[in-house]
Parts: sequence; structure tokens; C-alpha cells
Amino acid sequence: MLSWLATLEQTSISVWIRETPSLWGFPFILYLHTLGLALLAGLSVGIDLWVLAARTWPRAVAMAGLHRAMWLGFGINAISGVALLVAYPAKALTNWVFFGKLLFVVLAVVAIEQLRREAFTPSQVEPVGVSDRARRLAVWSLCLWAGTILAGRMLAYTHTILLASEAF
Amino acid sequence: MEAVIDWLVSTRLSWFVLEYRWVWPISETLHFCGLTVLAGTVGLFDLRLLGLVKGVAPAVLHRQLSWGVAGFGVSVVTGIMFIAGTPDQYFYNNAFKLKVVFLALMGTNAALFYWLEFSRIRELGPNDDAPRAAKAIAAASLLFLAAVMCCGRMLTFFRPPF
Repeated sequence: MLSWLATLEQTSISVWIRETPSLWGFPFILYLHTLGLALLAGLSVGIDLWVLAARTWPRAVAMAGLHRAMWLGFGINAISGVALLVAYPAKALTNWVFFGKLLFVVLAVVAIEQLRREAFTPSQVEPVGVSDRARRLAVWSLCLWAGTILAGRMLAYTHTILLASEAF
Repeated sequence: MEAVIDWLVSTRLSWFVLEYRWVWPISETLHFCGLTVLAGTVGLFDLRLLGLVKGVAPAVLHRQLSWGVAGFGVSVVTGIMFIAGTPDQYFYNNAFKLKVVFLALMGTNAALFYWLEFSRIRELGPNDDAPRAAKAIAAASLLFLAAVMCCGRMLTFFRPPF
């Protein structure tokens, strides 16, 4: 495993992301990851708080644009996340916290999709009450995003190997 | 500047931040959680003003901004903890100076919104378009928020060499 990771670290793209002095390398990719977080997790948290505060819900609310913005955030995070992984593969892949973060993200995205189906399906009846299930999904979503952020920050403090090539 | 730095490092807050190794990572987590709540609530309101979320009155989403203010408060408190811990790493850091500038622009932009547009915005119905000036303020708000995040991320890469 480590030798494979060491090989990945030696690829030109990995070396460039990690070692280029340009701000367009690692710093910019890290920024994109934060921007993606703000779009995906931020808007998801905004919707969760909205659902939890609402007594009735306007079923006619047009959420398609908002969900597109969240999926754009997901795309930015997926691409920047892969780039960060390629830069330091051993740092992430030898740390269980990284897999915990991925699990949190997957579950949070499932919660977004479930909440969309539960609360944002257009209806002729207007307005409707917010269901208990929608509230539960919103609470789960808030907890999952908090877990994602916690795991993401802890990655910097819990890794045991930074570069596989230095671990031999 | 040196006097301020000397005073900050002598505070109990600075000692607290540096003494326990879990304080910094937990504060970072809370800083990001605060930012996420701020970005989510402000972003949702700004996107409504820009016309992306129709079918809900802006006043409904405006009520969520109190959560955003709370998130901002958490980020400010944890930010002060970072500065108290290693003040020289911030006061001599150009990314930090720029971050403060963009935070001030965010505040000025918000003040402009309440001064010029809020009274009109709170009267809007679920499917009404926001006035052009309010849309410009909402777009500026999103840009400044993105700039603050950018500068925050760049702090590490503009650290002074000591």
C-alpha cells in the first residue's frame, strides 16, 4: 500500500500541487475546497435552519436553482478534494479520520436529497405544515455537517504519515 | 504594534490557547462551523434577492440571519483566540490585513442594505423581484464573503518567517 502511495506521490501532478510556489497550486485548491464547503454545507445548513424554524412551508418555493448551486459546491469539493488527495495520498489514506469524513459527507448528501423529497415536492395544497420527518432530517443534516467539518479539521492533527516516500 | 503583541501574549487567553493542544483544533472547527452557518444563512438570503429562490418572501429568510449573526460571533470569538495565541503571525500577515479589509467591506455593505433597501425588501411578496440596488448589494455580499474565505485560507501561505 505505502509503495503504491509513494509512486502516486512521485507523479508530476502530485509533485506540482504539493511543491509549486505558485498560489494557483495547493493554496488555490484549498480555497476551492472551502468555497465548495460554503456552497454545499453552507446552503444545506441554511435550509436546515429554515425548515426547523418554519411552522408552515410554502410548497411552491422554487428550490431548483438552490439545489443546483449545492451540487455545484459538491462538484467543486469533489474535484478539489481529489486534487488534495493526489498531493498527499498517504496523509489521508492512512488515517481513519479521512474515511470518517467521507462517510459524513455521503450521509449528509443523502440527507439533503431526502429533505428535498420530503419538503420541496410541489403540491397544490398551500401552505403545508413541516413534517416531523423533515425536522429530523434537518437535525441529522446539521449534525452530519458539523461532523464533516470536525473530521476535516482533525485531518491536519491526526495523520501519522505525511508522505509515504518518507515513511520507508 | 510591538506593545500590542507583547500585551496579547501576556494575556490568560493566549496562555489558554497555547497551553492545551486541543484548544486550537477545536477552535478551528468552531471557526469553520460559524463560517458555514454565516455563509448558509446570508447566502440563502442573498440568493433570494438575486432571484434564485422564488416562492418565499425575503422577510422569511431574513429571520434566519440571526443564526448567521450567531455564527459570525462564534467565528469572531475563535478568531480572537487565534490572534491572542500567535499575534505576530497575524499582524505581520498581508492575507490577514486583506481579510480585515474585506470584513469591513462586508459590514459596510450590510449597513448600506439596512439603510437603503431593507424597508422595501421586507414588504416584498413570495414571487416579487428585489430592486436592482438590493440585487447589487446581495451580489457584493456574496463576493465579499468569498474574498474573506479566500484571505482566511491564504493566512498559512503568507505567514511571516518567524
